[in-house]
Amino acid sequence: MENVRILNRIVEINIANVKYADIELCGNTCFVGTNNFGKTSLQRAILFFYSANSRGLGIAQSQKSFEEHYFRYENSYLIYEIATEDKNFFVMVYRHNKLVFRFVDAPFNPDFFLNNNDEAMKIKEIISNLEKRGVYISNQIDTFERYRNIIYGTETDKQLSKFHLLKGNEKYQNIPKSITNVFLSSKSSIDSRFIKDFIANSLTTENSSIKLEQVERQLRQFNEKYTDIETYVKKETQQLIELIDKKYDQVHMLKGAQMEMADKLGSSLRFAENQNEAIREASKKKEEELETLTTEHEALKDSIESKQNDIREEIGYYDRTIREANKKLKEYKEKNIDEAVEKNAEREKLQVELNIARREYESLTSNVSSIELKYSSLIEQLRNDKTAYINKINSKTGEIFNHYNELQLLQKNEFSKRDVELKEKRDEAMGDVTSEVTAKQIEFNELKSEEKVIRNTRFYEQEIKALENELAELRAVSYKNKSERAIKQNMVQTIQREWESLETRLKTSLSNRVNQTNNEIIRVKNEIKEIEGKLNVQHDAFYGFLEKNVKGWHETIGKVVNEKLLFRTDISPEVKEETANTLYGISLNLENVEIVSKSIEEYQFEKNERLATIRDLEESLNQFQAANNEEKMLAADKFGKQLGELKEDVKVLSYSLELADKREQKLGVELEDWKTKAGSEIEESLSGNRQRLNIIEEELTILNKKKNLLVNDFNTQFERLRTYNEERLADLKERQETEISELEVEKKNQVKEFESKEDELQKEKDTNFKSKGVDAKQLKSVENRMKDINDALKEIEQYAQIVSDYLKDKREKFDKLPDLIQKKEEFMKSNNDLATQLEEATRKYNLKRMELNKQKRAFDEELIEFNNGVNFFSNNFRETPVYNKYAEIIERAEPKRTNYNIMDLCTQLLKNDSHFNEEYGAFQRYVNEFAGKFRIDNHFNFMIRNDATQGEYERFAQNLRSFINENKIELSIAETATQIGLVTDSIATKVKELSGQKDKIQHIITLIAEDFKKAEFEESKLIEFIKIKIEESDNKVYKLLKRIEEFREEHGLVYNEGLFNTDFATGQKREISGRAVKLLEQLRSAIKEGEQEEIRLQDLFELKFNIKEGMNETGWTHKIDSIGSTGTDILVKAIIYITLLHVFIKESSHRSSKDFKVHCIIDEVGQISAHYLRELLKFAKNRNIMMINGLPNKSGLESHYRYTYQFRKEDSGNVRIFPSIVTEVEA
Amino acid sequence: MGAEDYGLPKQTHDIFAIMARGHFISSNGTKDGMNRLYDIINNPENFDKLQGYFNVIRYNIERGNNYFYFSRVNEANSLIEQKLETFERYIDVIDLFASMDNKITIGSRFRPSEIAEECNANVRLKQKLQKIPMYRSETLLNKVRDICNLMTRDSFLELEDEQTESYKVLDAYTYLMDMINAISIYEETTGTDSNSSGIILN
Repeated sequence: MENVRILNRIVEINIANVKYADIELCGNTCFVGTNNFGKTSLQRAILFFYSANSRGLGIAQSQKSFEEHYFRYENSYLIYEIATEDKNFFVMVYRHNKLVFRFVDAPFNPDFFLNNNDEAMKIKEIISNLEKRGVYISNQIDTFERYRNIIYGTETDKQLSKFHLLKGNEKYQNIPKSITNVFLSSKSSIDSRFIKDFIANSLTTENSSIKLEQVERQLRQFNEKYTDIETYVKKETQQLIELIDKKYDQVHMLKGAQMEMADKLGSSLRFAENQNEAIREASKKKEEELETLTTEHEALKDSIESKQNDIREEIGYYDRTIREANKKLKEYKEKNIDEAVEKNAEREKLQVELNIARREYESLTSNVSSIELKYSSLIEQLRNDKTAYINKINSKTGEIFNHYNELQLLQKNEFSKRDVELKEKRDEAMGDVTSEVTAKQIEFNELKSEEKVIRNTRFYEQEIKALENELAELRAVSYKNKSERAIKQNMVQTIQREWESLETRLKTSLSNRVNQTNNEIIRVKNEIKEIEGKLNVQHDAFYGFLEKNVKGWHETIGKVVNEKLLFRTDISPEVKEETANTLYGISLNLENVEIVSKSIEEYQFEKNERLATIRDLEESLNQFQAANNEEKMLAADKFGKQLGELKEDVKVLSYSLELADKREQKLGVELEDWKTKAGSEIEESLSGNRQRLNIIEEELTILNKKKNLLVNDFNTQFERLRTYNEERLADLKERQETEISELEVEKKNQVKEFESKEDELQKEKDTNFKSKGVDAKQLKSVENRMKDINDALKEIEQYAQIVSDYLKDKREKFDKLPDLIQKKEEFMKSNNDLATQLEEATRKYNLKRMELNKQKRAFDEELIEFNNGVNFFSNNFRETPVYNKYAEIIERAEPKRTNYNIMDLCTQLLKNDSHFNEEYGAFQRYVNEFAGKFRIDNHFNFMIRNDATQGEYERFAQNLRSFINENKIELSIAETATQIGLVTDSIATKVKELSGQKDKIQHIITLIAEDFKKAEFEESKLIEFIKIKIEESDNKVYKLLKRIEEFREEHGLVYNEGLFNTDFATGQKREISGRAVKLLEQLRSAIKEGEQEEIRLQDLFELKFNIKEGMNETGWTHKIDSIGSTGTDILVKAIIYITLLHVFIKESSHRSSKDFKVHCIIDEVGQISAHYLRELLKFAKNRNIMMINGLPNKSGLESHYRYTYQFRKEDSGNVRIFPSIVTEVEA
Repeated sequence: MGAEDYGLPKQTHDIFAIMARGHFISSNGTKDGMNRLYDIINNPENFDKLQGYFNVIRYNIERGNNYFYFSRVNEANSLIEQKLETFERYIDVIDLFASMDNKITIGSRFRPSEIAEECNANVRLKQKLQKIPMYRSETLLNKVRDICNLMTRDSFLELEDEQTESYKVLDAYTYLMDMINAISIYEETTGTDSNSSGIILN
């Protein structure tokens, strides 16, 4: 038993198709067996001891997993026994859902696992069995990681820490990785890629690669965002935004107007429908009222007129009576009725006087009666003749008189008749004219009243009032909106200032932080540089000398030396035994003195620490930047939203103010229109009225003229008639008088003759009387007296009839005249009163009639308008698409009177819709063009489908407006800028992380190269040398990644600030950002072209070999297909593997841990020659490595191994593994 | 010697490859970095250089509204005639597109199935679609697909999403519209004057 730690044996109990196998491994081991007998399975089981990673055992995906294939039963156990310096222990692996481990502090004993029937026990039984035996058994180790920690000596649990194979350092994971990699590499050719992979895989974890898919995704995301923003900020796009905004406003306004109009139309229609019957009724009612009014007025008029007729008749009667009385009175007067009456009064007195005279005369003539009688009879006869003659003449005169009187009478009658006729004619004509004049006058009066009414009427009062109210309301709202807008604008300014100040603060704080971090990084970098300088020179410096030549120098010289001195290369140190352990010959007790010097690891650690500090600083800066951005974004979100809302409010208010303004103007114009309309209506009505008045006035003038002419005409006629009459009468009278005067002359002459004869007779009588003595004188006087009396009586008698008539008339008529006049005047007054009353009633009636007519006309007009409107709506509007568009608004509108008629509204809606469609088309085109500029899945979500509804288009515009108002582009730019920062930073970090391991690789390669040098190939002279060197990578993607990292190093973190920055002052940054974007784009293309999934450590460098075997030298090459024979190739490959393994184990184990051996599992070595194999085993042995190899069959090679196991498949399908008896010819 | 050696943009070859085939480069095209190419040509510095460069090989870059294309200097009449014949088919296509309820304009995104559905539902559109000569198009949808393919091939459309079969109308579509608008139809005259042809194309 060697005094080293080694995997001593492996025991399989019910593992795969092996029931039981106990294989010793404490030396080079060889498995001999035909293919598919389980050699590789066993080797995997051994590998699992080292790697404890069931996934990294080279089991193909198509095959059953390690757990499934190996641990088929609940009593399947894999036992690894480890030999130590003193006592062996073992670890068992079994399946408890997953694979678990238990360490047992005892050498393996089959009895622990097998019962008396040689059957494997269950784990519980095994544990209790072990416990019974007092054997320590660890708790279940559930994780591979913990198991590895224990095996590789990094476990901190003291109970478990003793179960280690070796003491690994922090890089111990490289050991299982290396062993695994050797096992898994099956290519026969030696490819530097494999070695690279080997080294890289050994150095790195699974995560230490740059996943290009992830990078590409990040780059794509960034690129997409960048493209979106780039598209957005383009001039043409901005122009389109403006156009969309403008068109949207127009479309919105038009739509609003259309909707308003549709609402009005709906209201008007509902109103028309609702009011139709009511208006019809109202019109009918007005008509009835009109009829009633007319009837009432007619009745009143009739009654008044009938009264007037009665009165007129009365007046006519009285007038006639008065006129007749006056006429008679005048006639009586003309006949000197007063004198006649006076004379008549003396009649009685004269009669008495006559009787007295007669008696006196009789007394005087009583003596001469015969003479008297004779002469009296003669005289009497004469007188009788005379009287007869006079009578005859008188009668003739009378006849003539009467004849002429009759003629005169006839003439008078004729005159009267013609006068009456003419008067009637005149009256008739005058009546016509007068009635016409009266009618015209009435009309004139009516018109005058109408004018008065018109002047007092306020036309379109309702409309004007409604408009005035609306205007007042509008102005009030506008005033309110203006103040609100002013407030909001102030708020916008305040928020903007606040936002700007916050942004400035954030920017300053970021810039300060960036400067601070950069300074710090520069400082740390300098420190790193210093450390690196030390590390680089340490080999040749005093430090390297001490390391090589003075064991434990840190404990002595390290405590007193100046650190700077340690890294000086110019002090040529030499070891002088006599002064060893002294300081220039002076011995010091340094036990309590602290060590000043540091180990290389400590320097490395310090360097790493600083690198970590830089990373931390950068990360912290990143975080700060992210936080800063976050804050910026939050501010943008907060302020942007507020601003957006406020700006939207301001816009809405401005828009509503604009609308209100327009509306006010419109209403103002409408009001003016209405007023003008009202004025013109008044003027029109008045002008119509005035025209009519003028016409009537003219007509009245004409009528008056006509009347005057008529009057004149009639007067002339009257005059003519009267003249004619007078002439005729005068003529008649003249003729009467002529004839009468002729008769009177004749009579006078005759009477004179008779009187002369009488005188002769009288004289004869007188003579006779005288002769007879009678006083003739007295007699004469009596006779004369009697004659006078008789004459007087005769005269009285002549007027007796007239007087009698006069007296009668006087009694009956003349005396009653004042009463009659009084009565006539009373009637006249009543008539006038009635005329006034009628006039007033007619005026009132006319006014009322006019008012009613107007109202009725208004109702009728409204009704006609409604019906026309409804018909127009049904015939010309309802079937149009415009109706369908606004059907809901139209149908839902409240019935309301509007200032517009339905027809106008329909026409306007149709007209506006066509305009709206034009505008909307343009709006849609702009939106499509705008959205089309962006990718379909752009991050702004500017996307519109072709079949999008109007609402969707409008929402698009609204969202776009919000986007602008909330300044979301800034947010997006900030995000994208952060993203580019993060992407480059992430790339830089990853590249740095990855390339940070290049040093390790360099170190490993150096060690490998040295190890190759150390190889004692000289003995066999098989291989003269194996050389290895490292070169720069030619991977295009890596190169770009590196460039990005360098770029990031050069420009720091904040070059992203210049993205889309148009500020001249920071133009430089834009150029830098542009370069960054270009680099990222190049990287993206390279990743796409390369189709590489990840950049691993092995992509960071190129490895080249130069191998000389015999006379063959390969020269520096990546890949050596064939150095010599296959065996040579396998040998070289194995040598390289072993070297690698050795180097890694050395690097990954603790310095103190040296007494251990590990296995190198290389499966197929069948083609290698015995000589070579011996060389190989020896090469491995010198490096504390035991070989486990597979051979297809026994060929003598097995004799070089300490243990050889054969594999045999039994009939049951189980495989039996048994040791082959060979003689070991150990190398 | 590459394009860069003449101070030309390095995408010159790509630009030529597209435009020499009679295709357009539109600003809203995204496939194969078309928008980038547009930006490159649109850059005044590049434009003059490219124009000079292409003029040497008797190509002239024509600038449309957000698109570019080549015209040939002194093109043979037979070629022009051939082009006109090709264009003739587009008259019916544009007529159909312009008659859709949702008019297809620059930047519109649509699927052939949407157009086919609308044509199916509208007799007038169906007739218009049927009138367009497309061989081997058995169904309306296939016909629309063929049209879209043709227009995509001629760089008037772009297949944005193959999965959803979503097309986008490129800026070059304006060229077709402009061409249609440039057509003046005259009354046929009895004379044999050469100006009396039915359609005059600018």
